[in-house]
Amino acid sequence: MKILIIEDEVELAKSIASYLSSNDFICEIANDYKSGIEKVSFYNYDCVLLDLNLPDGDGIEILNHLKQIHKTDGIIIISAKETLENRIECFQKGADDYLTKPFHLSELFVRIQALIRRKNFKGSNIIQFNEISIDLLAKSIFVHTIEIDLTKKEFELLLFLIGNNNKVLSKSAIAEHLSGDMADMLDNHDFIYAHIKNLKKKLNESHCTDYIKTVYGLGYKWQND
Amino acid sequence: MTKKLLQSTLQKYLVFSFIVLIISAPIFYFLTEKLYLEDADETLYLRRNEFVKLTMPKMSKIDIVVWNKISKDGKIIPYSKTFRENNIFFTTKYDAITNENEPYHVLKSKIKIEKTPYVLVLKINLIESEDLILSVLILFSLTLTILLTGMYLITKRLSIKLWEPFYNTLKQIEQFEIDKHKEPYFLPSEIEEFHRLNDAITKLIKNNLLIFQSQKEFIENAAHELQTPLAIIQSYLDSLIQQPDLTLEQANYIGKINLVVSKFNKLNKNLLLLSKIESNQFEKMEPILVNKLIKKHLDFFTEQAEIKNITIHFHQEYQMKVNSNMLLTEIVINNLFQNAIKHTHEYGRIEIQILKNRLLFKNSSNDNKLNTNQLFERFSKSHNNPNGNGLGLSIIKKIIDRNHWEIKYYFENQYHIFEIIFEN
Repeated sequence: MKILIIEDEVELAKSIASYLSSNDFICEIANDYKSGIEKVSFYNYDCVLLDLNLPDGDGIEILNHLKQIHKTDGIIIISAKETLENRIECFQKGADDYLTKPFHLSELFVRIQALIRRKNFKGSNIIQFNEISIDLLAKSIFVHTIEIDLTKKEFELLLFLIGNNNKVLSKSAIAEHLSGDMADMLDNHDFIYAHIKNLKKKLNESHCTDYIKTVYGLGYKWQND
Repeated sequence: MTKKLLQSTLQKYLVFSFIVLIISAPIFYFLTEKLYLEDADETLYLRRNEFVKLTMPKMSKIDIVVWNKISKDGKIIPYSKTFRENNIFFTTKYDAITNENEPYHVLKSKIKIEKTPYVLVLKINLIESEDLILSVLILFSLTLTILLTGMYLITKRLSIKLWEPFYNTLKQIEQFEIDKHKEPYFLPSEIEEFHRLNDAITKLIKNNLLIFQSQKEFIENAAHELQTPLAIIQSYLDSLIQQPDLTLEQANYIGKINLVVSKFNKLNKNLLLLSKIESNQFEKMEPILVNKLIKKHLDFFTEQAEIKNITIHFHQEYQMKVNSNMLLTEIVINNLFQNAIKHTHEYGRIEIQILKNRLLFKNSSNDNKLNTNQLFERFSKSHNNPNGNGLGLSIIKKIIDRNHWEIKYYFENQYHIFEIIFEN
């Protein structure tokens, strides 16, 4: 999978690249508008991460440019601008997703995965992970072909964990992912403990390998030994 | 006690006019009377002189009886030594026609007819003078009253017109709110002082608006600019926790930093939100059913409350419909929820009540009443909750003010109660 990161903050671009690279993603970085336009014109990417505030131009123009040259790269906007108007404008101009800074890399990662899945959608939308298969359309989960019943939150938690396979996820990243728009209203992240416990229990009951590991002081990890 | 400017001026006018009237009326009366009496006495002297010059030389002693008969106001009586020359004195004489005593001035003078001394007694009736004085007095009072009333009315009308720009300016300043985007417009005035006043106020307001604007922009820019460094810290933290050989101690530190960063992030977002509310970036109004909005978030907050074993009870006694901005109204509800959960003890209870035009958030508490003075001020933290960033309530207040609603806080039966009163 090829990803282009158009972001003028070199440090941020680098840390995104390093997080994604360890998951078989090939990342390229453009630090300004000009090189961003060049790269999207000459190459094809599965996903473009686009910052709107670039020193030599408006990121929105890159959206327009992609539309003009009929490219269908998936685009995720990463921006400090968080107004509804901004989001709507970006979506109207062909963006697929919008993440407001600051964000967790794990969140960005599952968004990229979801975007690529949508782009490559060929009739079925099933994630297979060893003995677990997840049907994203039917929202159903099978372990060893036996369906298990998860709540909506548990389902999302499982997807988030599997998506960030072998990564340590901080409690705040999980909590914010599960809360969506309401993340700002969280006072603490303790509520995820109950969801993790229940998910673990349900997976164990259907003889699933215990992938969910607790990382002390930090959070949790979906570990595939 | 304060008085209106016009009222105060007119009051002094009236008092002055009244005093003038009271004092001048008797003075006028006595003066007129004195003048009249002098006039009457002069007439007496004139008639005496006339008599001495014209009548007396042609008179003989026999004529005296005839003359006394014809003359109504004059008598010639024999001379006696007791009388005093040219003396005018006051006397009353009974008048049979009017059936009352009438006042007279009498002049007695010594005359000689055919070389024999006689006394000429001339008298003048003063009754006419009293009527005259009374009429003059009434006329005078009437004129003065008309004059004063006219002056009062004219002053009043003139003052109202004259002070109009001042009252307009006053009203404009009273209605002026620095965070609303409406500059006051002052009526142009031809009076120099008002013109100067308007100029000075306009200048003052302009300066204040500029300062307010730059302060607002500073907050918004600062909060905005902080987002990128925050994003970098966050992404490095996310990368750092992937390190395989972290010790437990290191992991603990990172975990704590993570918490602080997410708190920082929330604080920053709230600051941005506040400055956006202040710069009117949420103008779209729509009808909102408050009940529905609360139900929408009830699950989320019930889950948050369960961590502290708090139960939430929602009583809907009324379907509350408001016309407002959806996003802002949602923020009010969410912040009230969050606030209630934050300040409720373990195993506590939260009650949400919708009554007619009112929304109540009650939460049980072991504390005392909150300090109401600074409750809705920015960064006013309650000492027993170091977790809050002190912006939640000030955001609520700001939105409530925008909507012209009202928020009240009180403490009753160990419950903190926040009550929102929607428009009546």
